[in-house]
Amino acid sequence: MIPDLEILSPGSVNEVVELLSKNKPGTKLLAGGTDIIPGFQIDSNRFLDIDCLIDLARVNEMKSISESDDEITIGAACSFDDISSNKIIIDNFPLLSEAANAIGSPQIRNRATNAGNFINNAPCADSVPPLLVYDALIEKISIEGKQRTSLEETLLVPYQTTVKPNEIVTKIIIPKKIKNYYGTFYKLGRRRGVAISRITLAILLLVEDDKIKDMKIASGAVTPIGMRLRELEESCIGKSPGKELFMEVSKNLGKKILDVTGLRWSSHYKVKVVQQMLYQLLEKLYMEFKEPEIEK
Amino acid sequence: MKSNISFTLNGKKVTIICNPGTRLLDLLRDTLEFTGTKEGCSIGECGACTVIFNGKAANSCLILAGQVNNSEIITVEGLAENGGLSKLQKMFLEKGAVQCGFCTPGALMSAYALLLENENPTEEEIKKTLSGNLCRCTGYKQMIDAVKSSAPL
Repeated sequence: MIPDLEILSPGSVNEVVELLSKNKPGTKLLAGGTDIIPGFQIDSNRFLDIDCLIDLARVNEMKSISESDDEITIGAACSFDDISSNKIIIDNFPLLSEAANAIGSPQIRNRATNAGNFINNAPCADSVPPLLVYDALIEKISIEGKQRTSLEETLLVPYQTTVKPNEIVTKIIIPKKIKNYYGTFYKLGRRRGVAISRITLAILLLVEDDKIKDMKIASGAVTPIGMRLRELEESCIGKSPGKELFMEVSKNLGKKILDVTGLRWSSHYKVKVVQQMLYQLLEKLYMEFKEPEIEK
Repeated sequence: MKSNISFTLNGKKVTIICNPGTRLLDLLRDTLEFTGTKEGCSIGECGACTVIFNGKAANSCLILAGQVNNSEIITVEGLAENGGLSKLQKMFLEKGAVQCGFCTPGALMSAYALLLENENPTEEEIKKTLSGNLCRCTGYKQMIDAVKSSAPL
């Protein structure tokens, strides 16, 4: 059940920082509310002891998306609907707009925010794998000042991040250094709409002179949190792309996932599927690279 | 701890005193007796409680009273025109898009939110719009036909 709550509605980041600086236990930031409110409803032990919510709906400075020469800044309180329909994001970071478009239902996407997604840090947070392959940074603010860190370092274990109770994430910053990369995002759920992900993969591939110059792979749902698979990436760099390499890296992905999660009831299914997924996605990306005009 | 909450409901100013942690869904149904909005899953999955919140379709089970100050809310009761059904509602009946009727208010609100933004949506856009409204009896074809025949509003 929903506890007795005080709900505060500050109008600026400064006011939020001020409220957070009081370090009052039981205070939590409320963005879209699509995790906290159903969490209350099912008496989730993650949201016990909350008696005060700071609603970010009126903090308009956290709702814009802007572009400079070398990076794009997404306000932390942008909804997934804002992100999936934004032309700057569609043009520069299509994997993020695809992931945003695959989350929950239209009603959820109208409310849920990007920062809320990774601060909640559920294993199945769909926006995380794309943000990780894009090397996204976050900016957080507390009474002590501003700080920029990589998203990857921020995510600790399921439902925990390094963001402290007196800090607020205000921006997501994505560097625009991925020209010429081919990318893809794939989400597997139990159905196509309103589905919690079972497996997600985001991949960026850069091929030059028929060698893999760079590769970035991140997984979600099939690993405890969204994570970059750096060993796999490194094992491909400098090698010639093709069936043999893709087969090998896909097999290694299965091993890696078993290493991280241990053997689970779903492993027999998921490992085979995720291996096949990676193989097909890499083949698709390589085809697009070889014959880009067919893709268009 | 109760507080004063003011918002616009179906074009009329409303002020009530309630606990800020009350769900908008309960505020509508129990406090204001607007029972057209239905409660299904209570965790934001089924869409039966969909209302239009500041112009966008949203699940009223996922919004708290403390968040609705100064907002504009439209519920299924707000669709009525001159004391009768609106074109969209009439089309739902005509095309056979209502069976048990429990998901209907939510589906109507999602469709209405779409038609407010987009005069002539494509079939794909209608399907996507209704994807957050689970219906287990009529199915979707009739609803899609109804929305298509209602455009433009």
